[in-house]
Amino acid sequence: MVRAFVLLALGGPDPPAPPGPAPPGPAPCRVLYARAFGTPPGSPPATGGPPRQRLRRKEQLLAVARQVASQCRLLQSSSGCPSSPQLPQLPDEPMSLQDAPGGLFQLPPGDPFPERVTVTWLSVLALAFALVCDPQENLSLAEITLRRLAPRLLASLRLLGPGADVLLRPETADLLLDRLLPHGQMLFLNERFLQAMDREMGIKASR
Amino acid sequence: MFTAAAESFLKQAREIQEEELRRFVSRVAALLQGPELGPEAVDCLQRLHLTVAATKYPRKLDGKFVELLQTVLCSSKCPEQIQVLCAAILREMSPCNDLILSCDEIQDTKLLSLVSSVLLAQGNKKAEVSAVGQRIVKVLERRLPEGQSAQYLLPVLSNVISLSPESLTEEQTNVVSRKMADWLRYASIQQGVAQPSGGFFSNPRTRQPGPVTEVDGAVATDFFTVLSVGQYYTQDQWLNVQAFSMLRNWLLSYGGKGLKTPNSDDKSGMDRSVMSVVSTTSTSSRLLPPKERLREKAFEYCQRLIEQSNRRPLKKDDGDLQKACLIEAVTIMDIICKQDSSYMYRAASFLKILHGRICGDATYARALLPIAQFFLNHSKMAAVDSDAIYKHLFTDIPAQLFHNPSLAFEFVQFCKDNSQLFTETSSIFRQSFPNLFKFLAWNSPPLISEFVDLLPFLLDAGTAIEIFHLLLDLPCLTAALDIQLRSTALPTSERAASDPAVKPATCLEAFRHPLYKSMFQYLLRTKSAPEDAPERLIPLRQLLGSLASSPRVVQCAETVPVLLELFFRVVAEFADGPLINQLVVLLLQRSDQLYEIPAFKDDVYRVLSSQLVMLCKLHPALIVELSKEILEFSGTVSNIQNKEAIFTHVVWAIGEYMSVSYDKRCTVEQINRFFETLEAMLFEITQLRPLASTSSYAPRAISVLMATLTKLAARSQDLIPRVSMFLSKMRTFVQSPAVTSVYCEEDLEEILIRATELMNLLKMPSVAQFVFTPPVDVASTRFQREVNDSLPFALRIVTHLLEPAPGCMPG
Repeated sequence: MVRAFVLLALGGPDPPAPPGPAPPGPAPCRVLYARAFGTPPGSPPATGGPPRQRLRRKEQLLAVARQVASQCRLLQSSSGCPSSPQLPQLPDEPMSLQDAPGGLFQLPPGDPFPERVTVTWLSVLALAFALVCDPQENLSLAEITLRRLAPRLLASLRLLGPGADVLLRPETADLLLDRLLPHGQMLFLNERFLQAMDREMGIKASR
Repeated sequence: MFTAAAESFLKQAREIQEEELRRFVSRVAALLQGPELGPEAVDCLQRLHLTVAATKYPRKLDGKFVELLQTVLCSSKCPEQIQVLCAAILREMSPCNDLILSCDEIQDTKLLSLVSSVLLAQGNKKAEVSAVGQRIVKVLERRLPEGQSAQYLLPVLSNVISLSPESLTEEQTNVVSRKMADWLRYASIQQGVAQPSGGFFSNPRTRQPGPVTEVDGAVATDFFTVLSVGQYYTQDQWLNVQAFSMLRNWLLSYGGKGLKTPNSDDKSGMDRSVMSVVSTTSTSSRLLPPKERLREKAFEYCQRLIEQSNRRPLKKDDGDLQKACLIEAVTIMDIICKQDSSYMYRAASFLKILHGRICGDATYARALLPIAQFFLNHSKMAAVDSDAIYKHLFTDIPAQLFHNPSLAFEFVQFCKDNSQLFTETSSIFRQSFPNLFKFLAWNSPPLISEFVDLLPFLLDAGTAIEIFHLLLDLPCLTAALDIQLRSTALPTSERAASDPAVKPATCLEAFRHPLYKSMFQYLLRTKSAPEDAPERLIPLRQLLGSLASSPRVVQCAETVPVLLELFFRVVAEFADGPLINQLVVLLLQRSDQLYEIPAFKDDVYRVLSSQLVMLCKLHPALIVELSKEILEFSGTVSNIQNKEAIFTHVVWAIGEYMSVSYDKRCTVEQINRFFETLEAMLFEITQLRPLASTSSYAPRAISVLMATLTKLAARSQDLIPRVSMFLSKMRTFVQSPAVTSVYCEEDLEEILIRATELMNLLKMPSVAQFVFTPPVDVASTRFQREVNDSLPFALRIVTHLLEPAPGCMPG
């Protein structure tokens, strides 16, 4: 079962900006969109009421985002490649992310979820996508699911452009997740099934 | 990018004040209650969502408005986009107290799924999870009305059982099990049809759909599965996909005896005393109870998937799915066999054949893990010899595929899940630990915490020494693996063995050079092989120095101190005297033989020196037993510069433990011998040479030398005059211009104060003796426990006693 999906901005030192005031410091890692699928099992009963529960959920997701950002930075520095150059133009078809940096890591019980979870992540330029899974989950399928979610989100929310669709159009992300990861259920979809699904959603088919 | 526009929106959303929000909410309420829900309503809801989501503290929305959101969500004439937005806002606010939502009356399956997503986010205070579960099953039980599809409901059910499997009664699980068996086994094998576009000119006669195909284009040979391909899909085919996707969870929760949570270990299948070797026939399957029938269909499905994964897919990405299906199928078979051991024989032979098929293919490596797990769980009952499987897994896979981060992660998880295997000394698992460290050497950041969990299982008296060397050489291993990879990537023509007479110009050449080849082979070994002469690797370490600044090597080096500390902590629990002695000797030896990364060496020295102290505490007699090695180490002047931390702690340990109260064999001769060596060292570093420049040494080293000499003198009192004279010369040393230009003022002052205090202490030999050599059972007072802090404290007290400042008599 997938416990949560997180779309984050990696933050860290920004690339040199076009003329304008320089950012004051390294940008923080931010959760741009997140979806939790139910309260994680093993959570202590609601002490402090709904506001505390909500706060706990938001902090758990932020903790995941920070870990992903940190792992991503470490991976990029170990492979010695500089941050990828800008894409020449916004792709409007789902692009293949075969070579996008990604990885797997585990978070121990209590930090931040009550039970152990495994996180699989994928990064594209200054963004990252992550799935928080139960430890015994099929991680191969999780990676496939992420590689399908990412390009579709990139295209539908125009994540590589200058806008803020990701913040202002949550229903777009919701609808995509409802098809590819309904209620946190990963699906064994072959390519044709995926095409059929894309057709239903109105997404242009990839080559 | 996290753009300027996005930053600005976020900031605005956070800064909206309560009053402004209230006005906005009433505007939204008016829009929602209006006749048409158009783009303006969408826009407002989107902004409202951002406002609610942007802050960590909850935004208070009017109770009536929250109710309105729920009403709009459930209203049938509301456009889908608005419904989804309302659900998103409600979820973002969850858990909320003002929820009146209920799924009981909802007929539309899509809406039911959406409403469930809100209910399941409430934290289950009011048993919402169970209510949702009940409703879903109720809807599934009956025939769905036209146009409604169960495909929206299965994922909800899956979520329900992962959150709270007790939500469903046994009767309900039977209902669903029966349906799942049908969906898995009897989906149509004809392709679906395109939805007719309608319109006046559309042709009502649609083309006859053909049969579904396999991933390689051949016509489907058997029942429909997730690896079946078609242009359009029918409803029952969608249900087939969904049913398989949730199958594992379902079987874990409800497949065994009684209800279990997905995470608990299901051993109920093992209770069956009857093991049938003859496979169960399926002729009477219709008469099987639902649980057993589902099990049978699931098993057949998994077998078919495994066969289908043998086909070469037309689309490359389907290959990835095939592998994921393979892994899932093997895992489900494992679960089925745990729940019903009569499947064992069929499964075991089937999986053995599968293993034979894929074990040579590196792209299938991840699937080897669940296969090995199956045989670990069942080989005794299946009476299959699976040693070859484990051998291949542990010997070949890490050596060839250490650079695959996903495989590395899963492999290490596999080891952690089966950690009890490593405790058996002669087992292939235990013997392969050098191979396992390759995963860590190459993929340090994600795997370091996993290895912290795994290391204790690999460590025992037989492996401790080899692992000690391995940890210290871990960054070398990274460098060597890099060279191995690059060498394998070379075309064969360039891989000629180098001329033995010519020294290799690059590391890559050295890989095949006879001089270095065996060293590389040792470092890259796949099996445990204790090395008698660790200095054998010195030339290799020097050669690899050119890679010492490579980022991957540096990342690996950063993990070593953590692992070293853990290593000693674990070893301390079982090490006996001889092993401790061996470790100390090696510690001193290896301090000269470390990979040349400056930060790495400093960190390692820091850890080794504090662990040395720990070992001395465990086995104080080692000072006497290893007096030769310790004398040699503490008598080498270059050690004070190069390995100051270790030197300082060694000297401290001498002062502390070279005493008859720790080891009866400590003789006056030995004390004198140590005294002379250390005195010579102190002389060497405090000597004022008139014409040569003075080099600076760590003030800490000077202090500890003085203190240790004093301690030794307290035990062999003939030495007291020598020490006192030496200490009195420290004033000259500290005040000489050659020295003041090289050391800082505070340090010199400290040295002088310390020298004075020690001299004063020696004026009262019996007090000195007490402070420095207490009977062992009193040794646990505060004065003795800390290395550097307590001694000055004690000395200060004594100084006060000897030279009381006016008006400062201790009470």
